[in-house]
Amino acid sequence: MNKKSFIALGLMAAMSLTILTGCGGSSNDSKASTAKKEDLVFVNYRDIRNLNPHLYAGEMYAQEMLYDGLVNITADGYEGALAESWTISDDGKVYTFKIRKGVKFSNGEICDANAILANFNAIIENKARHTWLEMMNLLVSVSAPDADTFVIELSKPYYPMLTELGVTRPFAMIAPSAMKNGSTKDGVNGYIGTGAYVLSKFETDKYAIFEANPNYWGKKPEIKTITVKVIPDNQTRILALEKGEIDLIFGKNMIDADAVNKYADNKKFKVALSEPTSTRQIVLNTNNGILVDDNVRKALQHATNKEAISQGIFYGIEKPADTLFAKTVPYCNIDLKPYNFDVAVAGNLLDTAGWTKAADGTREKNGQKLALNLLYNSDSVTEKSISEYLQSEYAKIGVNLKIEGQEEQSYRDNMKTGNFDMVFNICWGMPYDPQSSLSAMRAPVYGDYAAQLGLHDKKEIDEAITSILTSTNEEERQKLYAFVLTRLHDDAVYIPITYECNKALYRADLQGVGFTQSQYEVPFTDMHF
Amino acid sequence: MRNYIIKRVLGAIPLLICISFLCFVFINLIPSDPAEVALRVSQVPVITEEIIAETRAAMGLDKPYLVRYLDWVINCLHLDFGISYTNPDRTVGGELLRCLPATLVLAGASLVLVIFLSLPIGFFCAVYKDSWFDRITRGFIFMTTAMPAYWVGLLLMWLVSIKFDLLPTSGNGSWKHLILPAFTVSLTYISTYIRLIRNNMLENMKEDYVLYANVRGLPQKSILVKHILKNSLHTCIVAVGMSIPQLIAGTIVVENVFAWPGLGTLCITSIFNRDYPVIQTYVLLIGVLFVVFNLLFDIIQTIADPRLKNEVS
Repeated sequence: MNKKSFIALGLMAAMSLTILTGCGGSSNDSKASTAKKEDLVFVNYRDIRNLNPHLYAGEMYAQEMLYDGLVNITADGYEGALAESWTISDDGKVYTFKIRKGVKFSNGEICDANAILANFNAIIENKARHTWLEMMNLLVSVSAPDADTFVIELSKPYYPMLTELGVTRPFAMIAPSAMKNGSTKDGVNGYIGTGAYVLSKFETDKYAIFEANPNYWGKKPEIKTITVKVIPDNQTRILALEKGEIDLIFGKNMIDADAVNKYADNKKFKVALSEPTSTRQIVLNTNNGILVDDNVRKALQHATNKEAISQGIFYGIEKPADTLFAKTVPYCNIDLKPYNFDVAVAGNLLDTAGWTKAADGTREKNGQKLALNLLYNSDSVTEKSISEYLQSEYAKIGVNLKIEGQEEQSYRDNMKTGNFDMVFNICWGMPYDPQSSLSAMRAPVYGDYAAQLGLHDKKEIDEAITSILTSTNEEERQKLYAFVLTRLHDDAVYIPITYECNKALYRADLQGVGFTQSQYEVPFTDMHF
Repeated sequence: MRNYIIKRVLGAIPLLICISFLCFVFINLIPSDPAEVALRVSQVPVITEEIIAETRAAMGLDKPYLVRYLDWVINCLHLDFGISYTNPDRTVGGELLRCLPATLVLAGASLVLVIFLSLPIGFFCAVYKDSWFDRITRGFIFMTTAMPAYWVGLLLMWLVSIKFDLLPTSGNGSWKHLILPAFTVSLTYISTYIRLIRNNMLENMKEDYVLYANVRGLPQKSILVKHILKNSLHTCIVAVGMSIPQLIAGTIVVENVFAWPGLGTLCITSIFNRDYPVIQTYVLLIGVLFVVFNLLFDIIQTIADPRLKNEVS
């Protein structure tokens, strides 16, 4: 081998490097495109999927962009969307909506009461899928007496009716011509809505492009084109933002606490955090031999240092939670005395319950060790960290906490069947709280039902929840909510940990980034550069 | 020779049946009810017993286990791999077909990089054994084999895309998007092949035929390239044969990091979403690829190597 060959090798290596790095002359295209003031590049961890507005397999932010419902839920209450106004009969059973005139679907089709009726008929055809909304069970009839009037009749009064009509799905309106023979349960022919945007291009797992809807009835958005890129990895999303390939990251689980902390005082990027959207909590199984005693449950409440969890694990981004629902949630601003972190009180409560410390530091009663298992979803690093922290903290008061991470489906199976002592849970969140979370406690669907079975007042609580949903009097409803929430708080069934919030990380020149009452909606129509 | 090929092909059939059975059994060993899982992953908010019963019937889960397996195998042979749980309007076959080209492009580009970089470097490492070039290369190999692909990917992204502003961070669409993921995937293989070629050449250099070639006064270049390198590549051919399915299967993490919409991203997404039909078919596909490539390269090597060919005959 001679020198020439060695030089050749050097050249080859240099060529390889050139291949790897030599295309720097041309700056990236996306940077140029995002520089236009009316374009926004958004990112999500998966693609938009099936945007049929009457089913649940699509991304909610995208469904919100394309479709409208009869009403919107705002911070100040309900606001007319496709319905300009409405009246409710004195008995609370008949809702009459005056449909907004001149609204057209993005394909030019008229959206009147008949189109809305066609949508309701398609939703009712697939009723079994929507019975999680109590109004579906109470629905007597829907009708369109004329093109401007739409009427819904219920068998009983039901106060969350407008909220259920206002959530993203299924009561979002698609053009009747996009339905398959008047039906949507087996798919649709196109995603044609009345919303602020239309879907103009979509490549599975790559990107989707939305353009402003020229027929939109509301205030025209300043951002005319929104490109949604698919980037599954958390770190890559942040690097893409730094590079200028995307403008906005938005969502509860799209940015971790480290990233929020890192960009908090950055000049190029801004961070926004919403009010609490939902509560991260631990559910205690009152049907369990040890936890049936409310003194033990209360001891665990006092032994949980939420402030330390909030600061240590979430850098203070998720605030410590004192109650099952935050005070900002409707009807939940009631006076409940939080269980303060106090190890001495926790110890005294366990002493009162007859659990005394043995030589190994673990408490015992009649030969039984005070050992509990805490179930968490093994996909969640956060839950694992909190579990490990609690394991060491509870050991200080003599509770032997065994932590168990399980694959998501078996975790959910165990939750449903009540096969746990303690389990992590997150409540439904805005705008489903508190009504949907409480309503679901009455049936064996999630862990709540099984966990509450050991409560002496379970029947009373369930009856009060039913009364809340059918009450027509605001004052009475507030009273009933106060009763249910106080009972659940006093029974110490839930250890509230922190309040989850929505997060946004975006380039500093993007204005109007905020949050709505729905945790899944991204308010693109308010944004501008 | 023909008999040998027929024998090998027929021998692969029981193996394929075993793979299909294992794929089916393992997915079905999961204690959760597939109907309920399908409903959960399609985000039905409250799952009642009635919807579960309806879904079970629709998915054919009320049939006996073996009947379901046979149905599944027959459907697979007709290229009908079922429906995705997460996206009920997409078929599993359609999803795999959609993602396969992107993965083949990435795996192909990586293979080209592996061959074009490892062959000359491995060759020069052997020729200049213990020189500074060899030492540096070995140190580099030692380092890169120990570095996990996702970390290398993120480091390259940070360095090349952010700091030097040379390439896009992620996505797919142009050849620029391909460079970083292909280099990340190939890095581990490059290290392996450099080592393989270097060691094989060093072994071969000690053989008698090299001594005779030297005695005959053949030029050094000819001995190194025509004899030593050629003889050292036999093992590499087998290794490349197994590396192709490995490259296709091994792009999982890198595809996810670089948002490359191939089979790996599909597999990771399906694992996170518990989209069992997709996972099952992906595992089956990779299993079949390993069997097929193993078979193919065994046959190629038998044909290429006169000693093996005589043995078979």
